[in-house]
Amino acid sequence: MSGSAASKLPPARESVFPTRQMLGQMKSKLKGAQTGHDLLKRKSEALTKRFREITRRIDEAKRKMGRVMQIAAFSLAEVTYAVGGDIGFQIQESAKSARFRVRTRQENVSGVLLPRFEAFQTDGNNDFQLTGLGKGGQQVQRCRETYARAVETLVELASLQTAFVILDEVIKVVNRRVNAIEYVIIPRTENTIKYIMSELDELDREEFYRLKKVSAKKERDAQVAEKERLDKADDARAAAEADRAVETKDVLGEGENEDVIF
Amino acid sequence: MATTAAFKDRQFIAVIGDEDSVTGLLLAGVGHVTSPPDSQKNFLVVDQKTETSAIEHAFDRFTTERKDIAIVLINQHIADRIRHRVDTYTAAFPSVLEIPSKDHPYDPEKDSVLKRVRRLFGE
Amino acid sequence: MEGLFYNVSNGYIEGVVRGYRNALLTGQNYNNLTQCETIDDVKLQLGPAYGDFLASLPPNPSTSALADKTTEKLVAEFRYLQANATGSLAKFMEYLTYGYMIDNVALLITGTLHERDTRELLERCHPLGWFETMPVLCVATNIEELYNSVLIETPLAPYFKGSLSHHDLDELNIEIVRNTLYKNYLEDFYQWVNTHPDVKGTPTAEVMSEVLEFEADRRSINITLNSFGTELSKQDRKKLYPNFGKLYPEGVLLLSRADDVEGVRLAVDGVSEYKTFFDQTGLSQGSGGAVSNMAGGAGGETKSLEDLFYQKEMEISKLAFTRQFTHAVVYAWVKLREQEIRNITWIAECIAQNQKERIGNYISVF
Repeated sequence: MSGSAASKLPPARESVFPTRQMLGQMKSKLKGAQTGHDLLKRKSEALTKRFREITRRIDEAKRKMGRVMQIAAFSLAEVTYAVGGDIGFQIQESAKSARFRVRTRQENVSGVLLPRFEAFQTDGNNDFQLTGLGKGGQQVQRCRETYARAVETLVELASLQTAFVILDEVIKVVNRRVNAIEYVIIPRTENTIKYIMSELDELDREEFYRLKKVSAKKERDAQVAEKERLDKADDARAAAEADRAVETKDVLGEGENEDVIF
Repeated sequence: MATTAAFKDRQFIAVIGDEDSVTGLLLAGVGHVTSPPDSQKNFLVVDQKTETSAIEHAFDRFTTERKDIAIVLINQHIADRIRHRVDTYTAAFPSVLEIPSKDHPYDPEKDSVLKRVRRLFGE
Repeated sequence: MEGLFYNVSNGYIEGVVRGYRNALLTGQNYNNLTQCETIDDVKLQLGPAYGDFLASLPPNPSTSALADKTTEKLVAEFRYLQANATGSLAKFMEYLTYGYMIDNVALLITGTLHERDTRELLERCHPLGWFETMPVLCVATNIEELYNSVLIETPLAPYFKGSLSHHDLDELNIEIVRNTLYKNYLEDFYQWVNTHPDVKGTPTAEVMSEVLEFEADRRSINITLNSFGTELSKQDRKKLYPNFGKLYPEGVLLLSRADDVEGVRLAVDGVSEYKTFFDQTGLSQGSGGAVSNMAGGAGGETKSLEDLFYQKEMEISKLAFTRQFTHAVVYAWVKLREQEIRNITWIAECIAQNQKERIGNYISVF
């Protein structure tokens, strides 16, 4: 298509034969484009509304996360205080199987599938149940719960964020389409229609002129023919008379006849 | 866009963080080591000595190579060290989340997602 | 009588330790610390007590850096005392370090089990538990080698022998290994203070018996409370209880049968001190699960059992200084200093994380 050229020039038209059939097609196309534009616009608005809501919630959740993580970090400080030493290495080494996992589900928003993470804890495998057995065990367990809650918040935030990324993408696509329809397809179709119309009008006018011309010519021809016919009739009559005169003379004096010049 | 199959298997949370953050999150039970022989961990402890390339490598592994990770948690100050990577990462899965650490309180100004938010609303 | 010649060999050290004790932070100091707004203020407040050790810290250091530096001072002083100690006091101070050694060895075992480069772990080890041959342990690549080198190279050999085989290191949870060692260590220490000819019958034996009995009871109670809901069976749990202490033998027997907090409570009923602890904390302690600490651990108002134990330990340590001619002051001083470091870390943590409402949770006995 003539994409780049179209953007500079006033919207180009499609290369069609300006026929009445094409005009009908174009008109229905325009109508379709307008309906589509309206629908997409509405979709985009719905999505944007959702998007703004999500954005706001992300903003909130991120701030909340700051607090929650601080509390969690603080509970870890409590553990350090109670155990009286560093448990980091031991924790890292005894981690084996995730107890805390996420499940992903989908949610439909105006035809867009948004994922939703859902945290769940598997039962049974607890890698750290004996951590802090000698001292600090209670703090360790409490810290675990605090962190588990913090991670839940993080998971929630992650679903919001993923929704944000996907919605962002979808909205961009939809808006691109809306704009494409609004600024390219509709003007172009309109232009095409205008072109076809003017072309058809032109044809009409030409036809009319031609007809007029033809009839004028015909009339003139008719007049000429009439005149000729009349002239011919006069000539014939005169000739007949002359003929008659010559015949009588000829019969009388043969040799002294001169050439008759008309 | 992600298909159903792409995220059905994603169920782990990966962590790149300083020792305290990782310890805490592991305590919550996110830690997972895949079965031997390759036994891959889903967490990385970063300190001053950790090379930036190691962080990048871990980030790439969690975000692109491994297909079982749903969320990547990364400390903000560590994300700063590989900022360009984090900022250019736009895929929906896995979701990358910047989290505060004990010694580095959360700064919303630096967050790559919040930056996008602000850009969108022209603030 | 025994005090008559004490000063001949140990008088200097006792004097130094008493001096160190006077340098411990007082309630007034702690009050000032809690008023601080930033870690830098804390650093400034600690200036008189810690001086040079904090000088190399960058502005606004992390709390862990602060803890490291304060520990450094403790270690430096301890090393100085150790260098000057002779005879039974030297042995006594060695015993002191065994507890930290156990932690270090446990760390190395964990590292070896997971095939980490154990050399990196050396710097994570507690400096007080450092022994010369420790780097040798890092040569070991599998658990059997490590086990053998621990037996040969470390003073902890007797604690391994007889109760742990190298298979146990492989199969048992490291916490069980650690607590088994600790149990053996406590029993050995207890036996030593009560049988060694230089120490037996002296104030040292008296004070240290009390301290160690308390430590043994504390561990028994904690292990029991923390084992609820875990895979640790009652038989295995019973093996971790030290065979002395105020709770021994009846209380320990009851502890080994306890299924819940109520059981522990019954077990300690015979000892009035522990009974009061349980009364003070209420029963919500051990069950743990339902504690709502969303708002920064709202349970901070009532002190936890562990806090009370620490408090008690500090009081015992403080009282140790009322005795003369005893090694126990060294032990007491180390414990007091450890608590002080914990307090400083705690306060710094509270300030750094803006959790001022719980800043008063430190334990100060002076």
